[in-house]
Amino acid sequence: MLVNVEFYGIPRSRAQVPSASATGVTLGEILQDLAARFPALGETCFHGSLLKPGFVANLRGDRFVSDPNTVLQDGDKLLLLSMDAGG
Amino acid sequence: MNTPGYHGRYLRVDLTTAQASSVAIQPDVLRQFIGGSGLGVYLLLHEGAAVVDPLAVAAPIAFVFSPLVGSPLTTSAKFAVVCKSPLTDRINDSLAGSAFAIAGKRTGYDAILLTGRASKLSVLLIDDEQIVIEPAEELAGLTNRETQAAAGQRYGAEYQVASIGPAGERMIRYATISHDGRHAGRGGAGAVLGAKNIKAIAVRGKQRAAWADPQGLVQFAKELSERSFGPATAKYRELGTASNLLLFNRLNVLPTHNFQNGSFVGAEMISPEQLRVAREQTRSSCAACTIGCEHLYGLSGGGSVRLEYENLFALGPLCGIADSESVLQACRLCDDLGLDTISTGGTIAFAMECAQRGFIDAPWLQFGDGASMLRAIQMVVDHHDPDHPVAEKASVGNGSSCGNIGSLLALGSRRMALVIGQDTIHFAPQVKGLEIPGYDPRGLQMMALGFAVGTRGADHNRSGAYEIDFSEAVDRRDVRPESVELAIETEDKAAVMDSLILCKFLRGVLTDFYQESSEMLRLVTGWNITPYELREVGRRIVNAKKKFNILAGWTPQEDTLPERLLCQTVPEDARARLTPERLRSLITAYNLARGWNAEGWLEV
Repeated sequence: MLVNVEFYGIPRSRAQVPSASATGVTLGEILQDLAARFPALGETCFHGSLLKPGFVANLRGDRFVSDPNTVLQDGDKLLLLSMDAGG
Repeated sequence: MNTPGYHGRYLRVDLTTAQASSVAIQPDVLRQFIGGSGLGVYLLLHEGAAVVDPLAVAAPIAFVFSPLVGSPLTTSAKFAVVCKSPLTDRINDSLAGSAFAIAGKRTGYDAILLTGRASKLSVLLIDDEQIVIEPAEELAGLTNRETQAAAGQRYGAEYQVASIGPAGERMIRYATISHDGRHAGRGGAGAVLGAKNIKAIAVRGKQRAAWADPQGLVQFAKELSERSFGPATAKYRELGTASNLLLFNRLNVLPTHNFQNGSFVGAEMISPEQLRVAREQTRSSCAACTIGCEHLYGLSGGGSVRLEYENLFALGPLCGIADSESVLQACRLCDDLGLDTISTGGTIAFAMECAQRGFIDAPWLQFGDGASMLRAIQMVVDHHDPDHPVAEKASVGNGSSCGNIGSLLALGSRRMALVIGQDTIHFAPQVKGLEIPGYDPRGLQMMALGFAVGTRGADHNRSGAYEIDFSEAVDRRDVRPESVELAIETEDKAAVMDSLILCKFLRGVLTDFYQESSEMLRLVTGWNITPYELREVGRRIVNAKKKFNILAGWTPQEDTLPERLLCQTVPEDARARLTPERLRSLITAYNLARGWNAEGWLEV
């Protein structure tokens, strides 16, 4: 299962790319795949298969998700971002 | 004996008579309203400000400190400026950070309240018990930076200075009060100070309020500071708030071309990610802050300017500007003149659309044209259209003529729309007269509720409802009345934070906001205040603001959004659609959940 991941805010600065493809069936698997390829991203933003506090994920621009068991579809777009707006 | 953390009094200065008096504040009032915004609203209600024209001689304006100011708690060096807004004619509380708060509290007062009017442009000097109103006509027309530099030279570096720019002097209804590059920005407090002929307030003092548990406070502050370096604040520290831009653009909630669109093709070009590559960048912070959210970007001609998401959005996409130099120059110009960037951008974007559609005769004012935006900003303050130099009164209608664009822009978008007529009010980007911040409420419908019911008008700082939109708690494009308690929670929490005062960027650091805030208050004041009591303080303050507005003439009809946002879908997102019925159902549920009646009335 291939998912297109877009990075915003701190996730982008850690990944140092605006987007990347990732492999996995669930959100948790996607995060682990990303952590393996982008260690700085994983260290700052993930705790195993979970997002650390301060970071959130959004599926297809529609809904925010955090459950590592959330099942994604092939070709899905996943957005990783820093929590909190404001300013 | 004073309650620790407080001086137990405020300074009341009548500028007309040059009389100053020290007025006691009862301990129960302090516990009920804490300080900052809360105490300021209490003082204004006590002064009868709700029924006074905000630019009248009798109108009061209060600079209010808090029990945490001067403590080692990170982000606590803040002050509130509370007055009736000349832009909305409703309650207005604007906050700014840094050393003015610390020096102001050291004068020995918990608040400085001004009323009356100085006979000529003056500086108000407060040095402990010495209060002097010093004529300063030579400061007329100076920018904020020039004024603060001149005051620093004249009075010495020990004084901290808050000032108005030319916009405040001319009583532009969205003028700011500035200190050290930061602004009590929204709602036109600068115009109120200008109406009092006060160009600047300079404060210094030696009086410190005691702390109930100094050792415990220092330890707590140390732990909080350590936590503040963690991932919850990394975004602010490393990128600044401007990093919202690309995300909001992606989610189609970035207001563009006066809310005609929810995304902007030029967003990448003005994003902080791009600016960091192309420009020199430095970081700064308020006094006593460990987060350091301020990111300053270099200008082509020298100097730098602080860039936040809100001024980036308002002077960029909202006006269709993708030229970063124009955006940064506009931010700098607003800072110097003392103009609220959100209201400036919102009003100019509205004028651009009016020009585009022929409602005003200003073909030079076009979306995407940075030079025309900069020209318009200058004209706001100059009240002067070089093409129509002799026009004394705005003349508009049917697109056939327009006299003084500057004086029209100076009104803000709501008053400008009312002058133009022709139903332009339907796309004036404001609520209660306050221009809408950079969150498209059609795609962020919890925020739509927050904007509509906000006592200050459309406001992202007094309601943090967007936090709910950016969470799993709701479907941001299909928010239901059952969820309004979540919006209320963010509003109450903001009221407490603005009264303590703590920076909202600390919220992600606090694991249990009310528990930890209660502990901070206990360490400073000695109060055994419970989290439940602190929640009630938040509700009390929101109610007090509502009471002020009711006394000032509030009606339920003003709790709404512009018709455009209730009738037009965001073009890029078919699901980002808000109807009058949906918004009304949210507002009704909100009112009832607040314990008010369905329309939003409460007993005053």
